Amino acid sequence: MAEKGILFDMEKCIACRACQVACKQWNELPAEKTTFFAAAGGYQNPIGLSPKTYTLVKFYEVEKDNRLRWLFRVQRCFHCVDPACVKACPVSPKAMTHLKDQGIVYVNKDLCIGCGACHEYCPWNTPQIDDTIGKSTKCTFCVDRVTNGLEPACAKACTTGAITFGDYDKIKMMAQKASDRLKKKGRNPVIYGEKELETGMHKIYVLPEPLDFYPDLPKSPKVSEDLGFFHELLKPLGKLTLTAALVGMVLAKIKEKKNKDKLVSKEEEG
Amino acid sequence: MTNHWIDIKNADCIMIIGSNAAENHPISFKWVTEAMDNGAKLISVDPRFTRTSARADLYVPIRSGTDIAFIGAVINYILENNLYNKEYLVDHTTVSFLVNPDFGFKDGYFTGYDKNKRLYDKSSWQYQLDENGIPKMDKTLMDPNCVFQLLKKHYSRYTLEKVSGITGAPPEMIVEAAKTYGATGAKDKSGTIMYAMGTTQHTVGTQNVRSYAMLQLLLGNVGVAGGGINALRGESNVQGSTDMALLFHILPGYLKTPRAENQTLEQYLEVWTPRSNDPKSANWWQHTPKYMVSLLKAFWRDKAQKENEFCYQYLPKVGANYSHISMFEAMYDGVIKGLICMGQNPAVGGPNVYKERKALQKLDWLVAVDLWETETAAFWTDPEVDPKKIKTEVFMLPAAASMEKEGSITNSGRWMQWRYMAVHPPGDTKSDLWILDRIQKELKKLYAQGGTFPDPIVHLDWDYGKAEEPDVHLVAKEVNGYDLTTGKLVASFANLKDDGTTSSGNWLYCNSYTENGNMAARRDPTDAPNKIGLYPNWSWCWPVNRRIIYNRASCDLEGNPYAPHKWVIKWTGPDTKWKGGDVPDGGWPPGDKYSFIMKPEGHARLFGFGLADGPFPEHYEPLESPVKNTMSSAQTNPTIVIWTKELDQIGTAKDFPIIATTYRVTEHWQAGQMTRNNPWLVELMPDMFVEMSKSLAQAKNIKNGDKVKIMTARDSIVAYAVVTDRFKPFKLNGKAYEQIGLPWHYGFKGLARGHSANRLTPNVGDANTMIPEYKAFLCDVKKEVG
Repeated sequence: MAEKGILFDMEKCIACRACQVACKQWNELPAEKTTFFAAAGGYQNPIGLSPKTYTLVKFYEVEKDNRLRWLFRVQRCFHCVDPACVKACPVSPKAMTHLKDQGIVYVNKDLCIGCGACHEYCPWNTPQIDDTIGKSTKCTFCVDRVTNGLEPACAKACTTGAITFGDYDKIKMMAQKASDRLKKKGRNPVIYGEKELETGMHKIYVLPEPLDFYPDLPKSPKVSEDLGFFHELLKPLGKLTLTAALVGMVLAKIKEKKNKDKLVSKEEEG
Repeated sequence: MTNHWIDIKNADCIMIIGSNAAENHPISFKWVTEAMDNGAKLISVDPRFTRTSARADLYVPIRSGTDIAFIGAVINYILENNLYNKEYLVDHTTVSFLVNPDFGFKDGYFTGYDKNKRLYDKSSWQYQLDENGIPKMDKTLMDPNCVFQLLKKHYSRYTLEKVSGITGAPPEMIVEAAKTYGATGAKDKSGTIMYAMGTTQHTVGTQNVRSYAMLQLLLGNVGVAGGGINALRGESNVQGSTDMALLFHILPGYLKTPRAENQTLEQYLEVWTPRSNDPKSANWWQHTPKYMVSLLKAFWRDKAQKENEFCYQYLPKVGANYSHISMFEAMYDGVIKGLICMGQNPAVGGPNVYKERKALQKLDWLVAVDLWETETAAFWTDPEVDPKKIKTEVFMLPAAASMEKEGSITNSGRWMQWRYMAVHPPGDTKSDLWILDRIQKELKKLYAQGGTFPDPIVHLDWDYGKAEEPDVHLVAKEVNGYDLTTGKLVASFANLKDDGTTSSGNWLYCNSYTENGNMAARRDPTDAPNKIGLYPNWSWCWPVNRRIIYNRASCDLEGNPYAPHKWVIKWTGPDTKWKGGDVPDGGWPPGDKYSFIMKPEGHARLFGFGLADGPFPEHYEPLESPVKNTMSSAQTNPTIVIWTKELDQIGTAKDFPIIATTYRVTEHWQAGQMTRNNPWLVELMPDMFVEMSKSLAQAKNIKNGDKVKIMTARDSIVAYAVVTDRFKPFKLNGKAYEQIGLPWHYGFKGLARGHSANRLTPNVGDANTMIPEYKAFLCDVKKEVG
């Protein structure tokens, strides 16, 4: 099977949220108990990704130069070409499973210890730890559908063709076309996911407006430099059976150091 | 829809007005998106910026209830700048017809208005006839009494300045909309209008639709691919239920309900069968007697004979209005004592729900047939009601959902699609057909023992098999109709007769279930040779599988398509005729018959004398409006019924200065029982909210997420505030007017609960249809403390 990708053409999204619901339906995820969410203008819910929500449509209302834009972004795992979460996963064999040939990254729940390293080292902090079962959770790229010749649930449910599933090469070409079409309309589109993290991601956005319209989307996502240091620290522990608590201590240590560094650099600045 | 869903992709310009298609008909956006991929422009006209507006090339904000003014300015611009399609107009519409010189219009009133009766005497709203009784025409369009000149005169009043002051839309935006949409007046271009309840739910709802239709005619956009006047219906099968006479004023197939004065079948047919002396007019409704007699034969079969007027006397003769508002007024007055409510939730969905819920309390009995126990079924559990004081006996019959029964659904595009049963209904849940079959059989038994006028029920032809579940195929066949001399299914309504030898439960559905099988169950995904997305062998559509109605108007009088690259039908010569495209609107050679075959004059009416409130649309203010009508001294539609009984309060701008409207959102559906009981959808939109502008919020000291009280003359509710740039005050003649918006899905039952917006809406309806004015009324808001 060829390497797969998904294009999200934001200009075609009507925020019907069929993808969000179809994701829950296929993955048998329960509803979250939500209440009116004022910060996102009442339309977005739930607030963020969670062990019960792998796919979420985010709403952005931006008025600039007397022109109102209401933009909708499908947020979920990007399935990186070179995924940091897989690198970070401390167990052996790795619970964060990478089907390189297909471009799919998913959690093997039998192996996962729920340590949270994948969340920590994901540039978007996408994986969510389900504390009730002690496992990491995230979009699986519908691995159980895709490896059986079906398209992912979100793409299948998409009403307008904003989400397209296909061979990665084709998806990249489609992204270029969608971007060109927007340029012709006088817009400043951004292709997000082709060159990010140098090697790109398998889920690509074509965004009709510049990146500052989506404040929660990192402009230039980066994998934390201390990923190597994390593995250094883990090495001596490797002889023991790794637990979430042990890894958690290491992660906490790194965070503590980071905060200290930040303080130091701030003082230096000051 | 004159056209159908897939056909939207053929449009060069799409105007979505009175509709929020992206949210309420999301699948339509598959085709809108495809059209836009091919270069089509999208115009969204709406009081608020919606998910539809978010996708549009041009968004035009107009105050709720001002569509006629907005379209008026667009029409005026098109007339002044010669953007209309003159060839189409002359050949296919009544533009050249001469109108009685007595007809006139002054200060908001057409000739013939009776102030006391609030009705028009329409005798001056007629054509001038020649010696053969055929309407006179002036194809130069110069005669001062021709429809074109009258039209120009009427619309010259809708100037940009005036209309901007009414709608609040900036003049330059109106011009841009008129130019963009007006470009579809080119011969080979087409534009489509998608509309819904934002259009119809006004005291001028019918005239709103009419103004769109007139715009479409002026641009030659009716009968063509990517054109038409397209009502996006609110429920999956509401088109089917309308076709089957859900409404009180029609019988199946849009035959008229007998009125009190139609005392005999002869009188009925005399009054309701239109005549034409013009040999070129097909005048399709001349076949009314065949359809009516075949319907009576379907109802009473052997009992219906020529000697007894085919049991015409079994039909009730309507003397009053039995629409929704009238029925609930009668319930409130204690006139109606029992109600069977099937798949409807008026305690949430009706207008002035405060009163409608009170009306339910006055019933002796209520039978609620639904998927869930709705607010209507459980009206006595309303937290604001003391159940001890209610004597109504309530029966709840659990009903099967569409996936749990076999049958057909007719979509907005008139496609009748057969569905099999996917899963068995749970528990004691039964199909509607099962429930109606049992009720009918029981009624027959009871009436056989006597009662008032038992014959219509006792003699009703009712046999859908011996099985536990009635055979839905027998129903579908009865709807199609039989040749009673052979017992075979009729092939088409052309075969129906008025002598009692044929039956048909709905002449429009003749051809849907024939000796060749169930046409609605067809699933051949092959397109027709003209490749415009007709898919003629996928399901079936009325009439006779014609996918685009009035399609003879897509060709010139020689039968050449105006748009050769997206032709619908074309004349290929006397041997092969209209080959390769859609089923033509009548198979006559081009030019032999006029193209608008449902009208006795054979031309599409730009002068619509059939309506209650005038032959041309005219702007009147909603019943509750913050401003004076600047078009005339007639403040509101002069022909609406104004209820002035208990609990029918009407608010004024002094007490209620803010405009309000109601709508639906993608995440919930109608009165909510199907979505507010689904946890996944409840998660998306858990609570009732009210949307308002930043300026209003500031003035009222309201912040995003605050609880807000919304008050009208009728009732008040509480909702979360959404403070947003998507709402802006309307500047009307220099003064700013605020408008708020409320989703109407919520109620006190189900998983997601909230106050029902319809507690606020007024009990007033359109002059022609009595559809309630849910879309424009007055309110005030304040921050809810505590």
